Amino acid sequence: MATTLAWIILLLPLLGGITLAAWPGEPPRATVRLIGIGSIAVAFVLALSIFVNMLGNAPTDRTFTSNLYEWISIGGTSLDLSILVDPLSLMMVLIITGVGLLIHVFSAEYMEHDRDYRRFFAEMNLFVFSMLLLVLAGNFFFLIVGWAFVGLASYLLIGFWYERPSAVAAAKKAFVMNVIGDVGLVLGAFLIMRTLGTLDYQQAFAHADELGQNSGTALAVCLLLFVGAAAKSAQIPLHTWLPDAMEGPTPVSALIHAATMVTAGVYLIVRCHAIFQMSELAGQIIAVIGAITLLMAATVALQQVDIKRVLAWSTVSQIGYMIMAAGLGAYSAAMFHLLMHAFFKAGLFLAAGIVIHALHDEQSLDHMGNLRKYLRVAYFGMGMGCLAIAGFPGFDAFFSKDDILASSLAAGPVGVFCWVVGVIGAFITALYMFRLLFRAFWGPDPKGGYSPAPHPSRWWMAAPVAILGVLSLVGGWIQVPFGWSGINDWLAPVLADVRNPIEPSNADEWITIGFSTAAALGGIALAWWLFAADPERRIRLANIARGPRKVMGDAYDFDRAYDDLFVEPGRELGTVLLDDVEPAGPKGLITGTTAVIRDTARVISASENGLVRTYAFGIVAGLALAGVVLAIVVAGAS
Amino acid sequence: MPWTSLLVIVPFVAAIALAFVPRGNRAAGRTIGIAGALLTLVVSIVIVAMFNRGQGSMQLVDHVNWVQSIGLSWDLGVDGISIWLVLMTTVLFSLGMFAAAQRLPQRGNMFLSLLLLSEVGLLGLFTAGDLVLFYVFWEFMLIPFAFLIWTWGGDERRRAGITFVVYTMVGSLIMLVAIISTAMIARDHIGHLSFLISDLHGVPFSSTASTLLFAGFVLAFAIKLPLWPFHGWLPMAYSQAPIVVTALMAALMSKAGVYGLLRVGVPLFPEGANNLLIPIAILALIGIVYGSLLAWRAPTMRLLVGYSSLAHLGFIVLGIMVFDRMAAQGAVLQMINHGVVVAAAFTIVMIIGRGGGTEDMDKLGGLAKGAPRLAVAFLIVAMASLALPGANSFVGEFFILGGVFNQYTWMAVIAMLGVIYAAVYMLRMYQSTMNGPVKGVSDEGRACEMRRGDALILVPLILIMFFIALWPKALVGATQASTDRAIAPAQVAADRPAAQIVPSGVITGSRP
Repeated sequence: MATTLAWIILLLPLLGGITLAAWPGEPPRATVRLIGIGSIAVAFVLALSIFVNMLGNAPTDRTFTSNLYEWISIGGTSLDLSILVDPLSLMMVLIITGVGLLIHVFSAEYMEHDRDYRRFFAEMNLFVFSMLLLVLAGNFFFLIVGWAFVGLASYLLIGFWYERPSAVAAAKKAFVMNVIGDVGLVLGAFLIMRTLGTLDYQQAFAHADELGQNSGTALAVCLLLFVGAAAKSAQIPLHTWLPDAMEGPTPVSALIHAATMVTAGVYLIVRCHAIFQMSELAGQIIAVIGAITLLMAATVALQQVDIKRVLAWSTVSQIGYMIMAAGLGAYSAAMFHLLMHAFFKAGLFLAAGIVIHALHDEQSLDHMGNLRKYLRVAYFGMGMGCLAIAGFPGFDAFFSKDDILASSLAAGPVGVFCWVVGVIGAFITALYMFRLLFRAFWGPDPKGGYSPAPHPSRWWMAAPVAILGVLSLVGGWIQVPFGWSGINDWLAPVLADVRNPIEPSNADEWITIGFSTAAALGGIALAWWLFAADPERRIRLANIARGPRKVMGDAYDFDRAYDDLFVEPGRELGTVLLDDVEPAGPKGLITGTTAVIRDTARVISASENGLVRTYAFGIVAGLALAGVVLAIVVAGAS
Repeated sequence: MPWTSLLVIVPFVAAIALAFVPRGNRAAGRTIGIAGALLTLVVSIVIVAMFNRGQGSMQLVDHVNWVQSIGLSWDLGVDGISIWLVLMTTVLFSLGMFAAAQRLPQRGNMFLSLLLLSEVGLLGLFTAGDLVLFYVFWEFMLIPFAFLIWTWGGDERRRAGITFVVYTMVGSLIMLVAIISTAMIARDHIGHLSFLISDLHGVPFSSTASTLLFAGFVLAFAIKLPLWPFHGWLPMAYSQAPIVVTALMAALMSKAGVYGLLRVGVPLFPEGANNLLIPIAILALIGIVYGSLLAWRAPTMRLLVGYSSLAHLGFIVLGIMVFDRMAAQGAVLQMINHGVVVAAAFTIVMIIGRGGGTEDMDKLGGLAKGAPRLAVAFLIVAMASLALPGANSFVGEFFILGGVFNQYTWMAVIAMLGVIYAAVYMLRMYQSTMNGPVKGVSDEGRACEMRRGDALILVPLILIMFFIALWPKALVGATQASTDRAIAPAQVAADRPAAQIVPSGVITGSRP
């Protein structure tokens, strides 16, 4: 039952997308909305019904698999087209369809002036299908397929406005970076196939011991899988595509580049925790990479002027928290933050979308100010989101971030390092988010004022922002320290085989709550002092720490380094091969030969005029003769 | 009915008939050409329907002793390695006929006739069970292709034609020597002179003889493929030939080389193949990187696809040469995938070139605006070509590289460079023509939109891609037994663990 519904959930967005794409002529916008949003809405309702059903089952009885057909059998390995429905994948399905539904509704108004309305919804539905395939896949092969399909959908939607060269370049960058990740994932799958003899999740996880605890193989498998995770989840060193991905329409940024796709790396680690816990070192490396990423991205976010780029870097940073937690083995905390992040970051992006829409595609903070007067809903959404992401007590990320940090504190020396970085990160997060809030929504109107005045949105856009704003507050109440643990309990069946679950002590909890609350309030206070108390102060302080701020503003120059190290040399080499080696090398081999037969050639070309037909006929006639002889022989013999 | 023989007789008869149609009567020429190709397609479908999927050896064999004293025989048949190649050949030639008939050049009847003759050569080659016959068809295929380039090619068609002929002749002469030597040496073992491949199976050649003979064959195959660095003829021939011919050469003629490896080289000379495994694998790897880099910088779409083909064939050769069951089966599947995808890619080049007046990528841009349907088709083909997971070519690539990884991890890692580059150059081709500001065309490039005649060619190809992507078992199920059989001796020669050497049999369960 659950799996049948899951297949339907998987297929609905695909059918929606195909219907939209194949619709003859130009369908009316209402039809596009109906199909595009309707397919996701039905999928969400079905996912909810599975959820309710599953709640009725005993926790140990909440895992279902289903094989559609045997897809291939090759060289001793057979693969089914199969899905795995368990609390973890269902949680992801609920996020994808639920948040996806809100963002689809938002898009109906946001994209209404675009001539490619139909293409937008078709591609969004393709994305939802791909993402569902990624989380529902029952083996590594179809995980990789979903993994690549979300990459394709992301490519298409980043480059949605394909006349813009910057969008086209950003789309390509994202795609190529993700192919690098795919390669890591594929190599990881190869190694699993070689050592464990299967690509099926459940068989592989059940036999993960055969990798050898802390063996080189286990380390290699984990790190290879992590290459895929890092590319998808924009972790150092494969993070540079995500800020550029903001070239896509804002709902795309909200759905793909904030709430769902970019968290796939976290999902991968949690899904494969049986493998990841075979290598302690790999986990530590991953945690440290997550920690460095979260700090690096937070500092870059401080220097961004484009409202979407602030949010993009903050996404990189927040996923850093999740990856850090997953690396340390705090799987449930990572998933908790993933869920909370989906609420507040989607809300933040959509609120930013209202702003951008109202200001006619203006994205620079320099041209914003005092928006709370004009855009109440956006202000509400943005404000709630900022309080949440900053970890203001009571808001959702207060609970989930504390869960991550308290777990870190209980996870040995590396964990303590991560905790320190995480607390510093929390301070910077509060600072850059409230910088955004204060600069856009407080203070005076921008220089020259708004012309025309920002127009508020209709309910298509307002309702999703309001809902996500509320969720940014109440969402976190699902799991409260010293109270109850909804997420832990829900994921318990999936994580039952975790060997050394991290259980923060009361002291860990209290220390973390104390420090992180202080960090959040400190960050907010500093932001207020810098950007709100006196709007001129920012300008007076503009000369302070110019050097470091430039480095942060340039995002530590990863892009230029990659260009210098990989892109340019490759391009140069290709050009040299094409212009110099090709004509001289292999072709040169026969230049000599052709010189010898040039005379022959001349004779042929001299006698060629009109004679080719004769030549050809001669050959054909000769062959015909041979054919006749052959036919006689065949006839005679049989 | 001698169905397998009909496979070469039908297009041959149609080609002869075409040669007698008066030059002015183009309608009759079209009818005969298309009818000939379609009839051949029907024959191949009958053969596929009669094919026994579990059998590893040759089936539907038409055998006639020809010149018994010197061991010559007419011997045609199909097995798992050739069955899909045969079907792909007849399908692609049918589509190619449609394409050619839509824009028939000067002396069009002769053009169609030569196309059919090249089909005869390919089908004969893919079904030949006798080395002499194999050689005859090998040469037979060369002549019409050379004439097609020579007569109907671009401005430099003469040079392109000569280069092509010289290259392939060198290879085939050496192959002829190798064929005769093989039969001579094998005579002592068999007891009489025989060129039948089935007779030559399992003949114990000395290590040196095996290596030399293998090398002789491989040189011819390497040129036809082409394998780096034997690709000197490729850029000229691909860019000068009429585009239908380029598509058929890239899709099918290149497979002749791969097919030779699997049909003749590896099974008959396992020891030689094993001795040359590493050198050939290295050439394939170089080809993957080299072809990718050139594709990245190539100025025209045609050259880009041509060089990408060089890289893709490197994967296939690698898959065969590591003697791994999974890799070899992946390679057999990939031969089909590559053929279908590269044919579709050249079709798109054709459409864009026709509407935009140039195949130079830098001179075009933004065509998606005026040609949205083409953009969708192009995107699908581009994704298939760069082997996006989920695409048909990914199935082949995944299992090729998985098998390579099992045997020689470093090779798989190097080959992965080609996977990454593929994304770079295919997106370059797609984006520079379809995306960005409209450039190089009037009316937003509406002239580049897919027409009904184009859809007739592209849609079937795309449907085939989807079919393979969704259910590769349909193909692999038929190729498994023969492929295992072809590489089993080489696996023995390479001292692979016994568990991996299962010549045939049913494999069930995903975990031993």
